[in-house]
Amino acid sequence: MANLAIDIKKQNTYDAIVIGSGISGGWAAKELCEKGLKTIVLERGHDIKHITDYPTAMKNPWDFEHRGQVPLDVRSQYPKGRAAFLREETLPFALKDGIQPFVEEKPFTWTRGYHVGGKSLMWARQTQRWSDLDFEGPKRDGFAVDWPIRYADIAPWYSHVEKFAGISGNKDGLQELPDGEFLTPIELNCVEQHLKQVLAKEYNNKRHVVQGRCAHVTDPQPIHLKQGRAKCQHRNLCNRGCPYGGYFSSNASTLPWAAKTGKMTLRPFSTVHSIIFDEKLNKATGVRVVDTNTKEMIEYYARIIFVNGSALNSNLILLNSISNRFPNGLGNDSGFLGKFISWHNYRGKISAEYDGFLDKMTDGKNPSNGYVPRFRNLHSQETDFLRGYAAGIGAGRGSWSSREGIGEDLKNSLLHPKLNNQWNVSSWMMGECVPIEKNHVRLHENLKDPYGIPQLVTSAEWTDNDVKMVQDYIEQFTEMFTKAGFKNIKASDSKSNPGADIHEMGGVRMGNDPKTSLLNKWNALHLCKNVFVTDGACMTSTGTQNPSLTYMALTARAANYAVGEMKKKNL
Amino acid sequence: MNRRIAIRDLTIALGGLVSIPAWASNGWNANSLKTSYGFFETSEQQMLELIVGTIIPESDTKGAKSLGVPAFLEKMLQDCYEKPVAENVKNGLASTDAIAQKQFGKSFANCETAQKHQILLGFEKSDNTQLKDFYSLVKNLTILGYTTSEYVQTEFLNYNMAPGHYYGCVPVKK
Repeated sequence: MANLAIDIKKQNTYDAIVIGSGISGGWAAKELCEKGLKTIVLERGHDIKHITDYPTAMKNPWDFEHRGQVPLDVRSQYPKGRAAFLREETLPFALKDGIQPFVEEKPFTWTRGYHVGGKSLMWARQTQRWSDLDFEGPKRDGFAVDWPIRYADIAPWYSHVEKFAGISGNKDGLQELPDGEFLTPIELNCVEQHLKQVLAKEYNNKRHVVQGRCAHVTDPQPIHLKQGRAKCQHRNLCNRGCPYGGYFSSNASTLPWAAKTGKMTLRPFSTVHSIIFDEKLNKATGVRVVDTNTKEMIEYYARIIFVNGSALNSNLILLNSISNRFPNGLGNDSGFLGKFISWHNYRGKISAEYDGFLDKMTDGKNPSNGYVPRFRNLHSQETDFLRGYAAGIGAGRGSWSSREGIGEDLKNSLLHPKLNNQWNVSSWMMGECVPIEKNHVRLHENLKDPYGIPQLVTSAEWTDNDVKMVQDYIEQFTEMFTKAGFKNIKASDSKSNPGADIHEMGGVRMGNDPKTSLLNKWNALHLCKNVFVTDGACMTSTGTQNPSLTYMALTARAANYAVGEMKKKNL
Repeated sequence: MNRRIAIRDLTIALGGLVSIPAWASNGWNANSLKTSYGFFETSEQQMLELIVGTIIPESDTKGAKSLGVPAFLEKMLQDCYEKPVAENVKNGLASTDAIAQKQFGKSFANCETAQKHQILLGFEKSDNTQLKDFYSLVKNLTILGYTTSEYVQTEFLNYNMAPGHYYGCVPVKK
């Protein structure tokens, strides 16, 4: 018996464990395997193999039996609130009801991707770098805690991940949106260019429209071809999975790369229950996993553990990792674990029409969009709210058919759509939410999920700062659109739930001081140095940028640090 | 572009680096449309075909009926709508003849095209919400099925799955 136990322990021992296979977990797997570490990647959902498991990717509209609408009997297997989002095209990535119930103490939208690749198959693929204006935010404005890193610490790692992932964009030379390693940009259209010129002129060159940097391979380099990825085809069917590997996902890029080293074991259907802490060794020795098919509890062991379960799940795992030494969750002497949960403010929206460039149109599909980097409170405090917002912006000509009438007239109208008599312009805000202690997640005292893991309680709400920011976005964009000659301007506050932006962050924040933060400048727990958290949970503040690129860079940086420390026998 | 060509181009784009998955080699012919799913009685099905054929008729271009839209409607009503909604469509189909009799003294099938239009446009403006909902759903599904058909997509709406491109500012084609 004793020998058998030793054998199993040996069999289940790796150099590294990576919890989660999404955008950051994929990067951890790639970096660790490339450096020769025998790595197990634990994914709670099912496997999705690149190309093979994108069943809808090459379907034409008429190939969908219900033209995209999901039949009632299938629909009933998914949560009611999500029914409006369900489509036949993206059903393979939707989360069924009852998989992971959680308690919304206050309304919170929690979008999850429980399959190999996680949300890297569902993301908007926008990849903007942070600048020091973001990293210095908490210190300058006196909220949260100071970031333990600055732009110079992460810049080489941005370059590292950009080259491999394939990011298209322009070098715009803006301090607030540093340039990177870019492939051929996608172009701004006539109206977006027009707005760019108007803003530069009307605002003293202090407000900009740039092309959003995005993770699309517009001209594949040898490193992309080596991954088996081809040029983006501008199909705009990204959310079905891209068989060309035209955009970056774990499935198309980092995971197959890690697999090719022969060092990776990928284990789907593996929900992590908790991290095992050894008090004698004063470090983590492994993880407890529930096999979601058999409900069996299995332990895996390793010298280092990367926690990349997506922001709230990484909080959940640490909170549930209870030992005599850490009765309030792993590394949580400070009591801040699960606190300062934050997200992005996507509430403000604005649309308008423009009747210029009527002799021009766009041709083809644009998988990206224009981007207005933050301009509020950039170098000093100017408004009655802290921080600011970036905005997405898109214009299109579009065409329409009248659906009025009946018979030949209706048919002719449907067969011969007319180009619109105007351009339509729309913008959406991406505001920085200032994290506050009150916004938190915690474990429910007695409710459990189907795997015996305590349910997560989400307790987060908007602040006055957020509401003021929405108002300012609406005022400023109405003014900018008016200056650009746009008409029929309609702005609104969606008052969406926190989390609806799918950029939830924080709870395991980085910082210099173990008394006020959980992670050090290398994303390792201050109090358990062989556990690294490099997904959204580590974020001390939120910036305004789409966060995935920063998670990728932080992950690659931490993984390389961890390997170095292992070599020095420090881990 | 059709699916076969799109998948051939996919293979070329990837330079044979990956093997083609099962979903690409099976189920080529998605156009093997059934004519009926047994959701409607024969008389209901005939009436549905008449109405769908009146909304988007056959002419020198194909109409909704020859593109299999009636069977698409049947499939949708069977699978995607709550029972009362589908029942209301059945009731609407049954009422249509009675209304034709009342207005023109003959069955809907025997009405002239203009008379059929008058009846259906009457539903659209009707105070009877059941009739109005019935017609609105049938019309919307007819338009959906018709405009997403391979024929309309490829012959009229410039459907092209891949490869694509994006040019932000080109002259409007005259």
